[in-house]
Amino acid sequence: MFELKPMLSALWRNKVSALLIALQLALTLAIVSNATVIVKDRMEKVARPTGMDVGNIIAATYMPIPTDYDMAGAVIADLDLLRNTPGVLDASVTNQIPLSGSGSAGTYFNEPNQEIGGENANYYQVDSHFIDTLGLNLIEGRNFTPADEHVVGPNDRHHSEVAVISKQFAEKLFPGESAVGRFFYAGNTDKPVEIIGVVEQHLGAWPGWSRAGNVVFYPLLVTDNHKRYLIRTEPGQRDAVFKEVEELLNNRDPQRVVQVETLSKNLERTYIGDNVMIKVLSLVMALLTFIVALGIIGLTIFWINQRTKQIGIRRALGATRANISRYFLIENSLIAGTGLVLGTAGALIINRLMVSEFSQPTLTLPLLAVCAIVLLLVSITAALMPAMRAANVSPAMATRSV
Amino acid sequence: MIGYYISLAMRSLRGTPILSALMIAAIAVGVGASMTVLTLNYMMSQNALEHKDSVLYAVQLDSWDPNQAADTANEIPWQLTYPDAIALLRSDIPTRQVAMHRFGFTVNIDESELRPFTANTRVTTRDFFSLFDVPFEYGGTWNKEADTAAVQSVVLSKETNDKLFGGENSVGKIVKLNGEPFTVIGVLKHWNPSPKIYDLNNNPFADSEELYIPFGLHRKFEIYSWGNTNGWTSRTAEGAEGYERFLLGEHVWIQYWVELDNAEQREAYEQFLTGHIHQQKEQGRFERPLKFALSPPSEWLVLNEVLENDNRVLGWASLAFLLVCVINAVALLLAKFLRKAPEAGVRRALGASRNAIFTQHLIESSCIGVLGGLFGIILALAGLTGIRVLAMGQADQIAAMNWEMMLAAVGLAILASILAGLYPAWRISRTNPSVYLKTQ
Repeated sequence: MFELKPMLSALWRNKVSALLIALQLALTLAIVSNATVIVKDRMEKVARPTGMDVGNIIAATYMPIPTDYDMAGAVIADLDLLRNTPGVLDASVTNQIPLSGSGSAGTYFNEPNQEIGGENANYYQVDSHFIDTLGLNLIEGRNFTPADEHVVGPNDRHHSEVAVISKQFAEKLFPGESAVGRFFYAGNTDKPVEIIGVVEQHLGAWPGWSRAGNVVFYPLLVTDNHKRYLIRTEPGQRDAVFKEVEELLNNRDPQRVVQVETLSKNLERTYIGDNVMIKVLSLVMALLTFIVALGIIGLTIFWINQRTKQIGIRRALGATRANISRYFLIENSLIAGTGLVLGTAGALIINRLMVSEFSQPTLTLPLLAVCAIVLLLVSITAALMPAMRAANVSPAMATRSV
Repeated sequence: MIGYYISLAMRSLRGTPILSALMIAAIAVGVGASMTVLTLNYMMSQNALEHKDSVLYAVQLDSWDPNQAADTANEIPWQLTYPDAIALLRSDIPTRQVAMHRFGFTVNIDESELRPFTANTRVTTRDFFSLFDVPFEYGGTWNKEADTAAVQSVVLSKETNDKLFGGENSVGKIVKLNGEPFTVIGVLKHWNPSPKIYDLNNNPFADSEELYIPFGLHRKFEIYSWGNTNGWTSRTAEGAEGYERFLLGEHVWIQYWVELDNAEQREAYEQFLTGHIHQQKEQGRFERPLKFALSPPSEWLVLNEVLENDNRVLGWASLAFLLVCVINAVALLLAKFLRKAPEAGVRRALGASRNAIFTQHLIESSCIGVLGGLFGIILALAGLTGIRVLAMGQADQIAAMNWEMMLAAVGLAILASILAGLYPAWRISRTNPSVYLKTQ
């Protein structure tokens, strides 16, 4: 009832054109499915929670001009000033700015004097206001108190007796048990550090790092040649406070250079590469689908024009409009189906190369099936308009030009 | 004849405006996408030191953890420890050699309205400028003794000199760095290679430094690195205290390059490095198997993966996209040419050879290629602008098209359209004229 035999013989006459359409669809499926899996992977990466109130945080870095500068005194005075500024919720001092791409990392062990089998983590030297300033969620244990804080010189051997760590890192050090009250060792030393608290999530300095989320905070102030402040503002106040910070710090003490940035900007900058991949690949997918659809429309119109007389004869012999439209739609689906089967094989081969050569994610079969179905729908939709037009060919066409 | 074919082609294109526009658009979009990505990849793979590729080498020594190889492409740390750099500087085998790292200072000058600012600084030995072909506008580099003794000299980049002194010859003037006086001894011309081949482990597409100071100042200013400092052990520089413990420690932070002009020099230097490692092994360092690497600039770019996997993926995706556009154009050209088959039939009957018909149709498809290429350049320029915006100013130098790339775009478009036109033109040139004459 689907007139398969005459359809196949008609296709055979136009085999090159049919093959070209099938080939286009095959390549499109191969590209689109592989691009989709990369885009999906990157979108998940960008959407990971940072653990911080990113939208309301300002970071300021200052470098004193004189070499013999009282860093510790300046930090106390600056923080006092910042915390009493209208619009500011809290402020904290830190050695590195989260999400900035600049940070420190160490290797940690749960036994003293180990050489191998350590776990890497990003570490920060902060104060007791840090957790509140970033809006981190303390899920276990306690925050630092001012009594935990210590000031050390840039060249001093420093060692903190307590630390707060991220949940992800706690699970790596002590899988399946509570980490609070346990001890770890920074590097191959014999000096234990007690874990006093665990925060739910913190992406750290490098969200693209394979171990991003492993984080350790120490209550230390190292008086090296620059220091950084984090300032959390009331919602909606960030931009107003942002404009004031440099002036505020410079007015208190002009003997230094102050640079101000926002965490939102840092976060955006962190994902530049992923955003380029997402946008460029999405655009390629959209244009590709569009071009293939245009090609199908163009070719179907051409075929219908070539077969106007044949359509007229079929109509004269009693075929309904629906029969004619259905004929072209089924013909198109046959071609598209062939192309998509070829494309499935192509997609899997290309994905294997993507995984092994370019360390991209693996293509799953459900995702491939979704891509194939979408392309099939696109190709049927593209053929629909010319097929409807074909149905309008008058039966009188059969009698003309004979 | 060609002029006539071109006018025929243009007339034929105008005859089927929608189909022609479709084909031109397909080629333009394909070329636009490919050229956007290929320009980016081409600019990212530039080697500013290509002319010195046979004499310059980045030096790596494997001083890493005996239990675990360094996490780099060739399993040797990218940088050296300070004590190793100092030991290597004592060799007189290389024609030139550079030990260096990134740093930062606050900058101000007395009696100036200019607000103090922080400047990216390169701490380096004196050969930096001649080894990397850095051009001077005024003055020159420091003396040899400044590489080991604390001499407060500074070389300014053109941009810094413009900012501080309005671009005049500032040699001999005093600049305050971290509040301490430094004498300007040289000013560079504009110099900003991208990728920044001499320092690939701190963002290869960042701008060059604003200040350059001698390598002999570490102890005086207690200089740490503003680049990567990587260590693998906590038992380091035992016995040393304070800043010395950092300086003499077992962590890597110094970048090292040498110039070796011929094979003998290179061989002698390899022997020297082998000797150095053996000597260190006796003192309990370098516990891994003896390994070092001398990589010329071209290899150094590949090792450091300046062109990332993502860039390669985009490159292949855009070429595959162009391929689909070409196949699309083949199908449409075939349809168009077959529709005009009666015309070709008449021409054949009037005596045109198969070759003539073939050439005519191939020229028609090339015309589509030229038009597609021109629109493709516009799309590629728009694409690169889009990339610059997405990159938030970090790709301004690389997401830009030069004349070569524009010519390449048109070339690619013509190549694509000729490939697309080959089969349809051949097919039409084979048609039997009598079939079409009959139906007239």
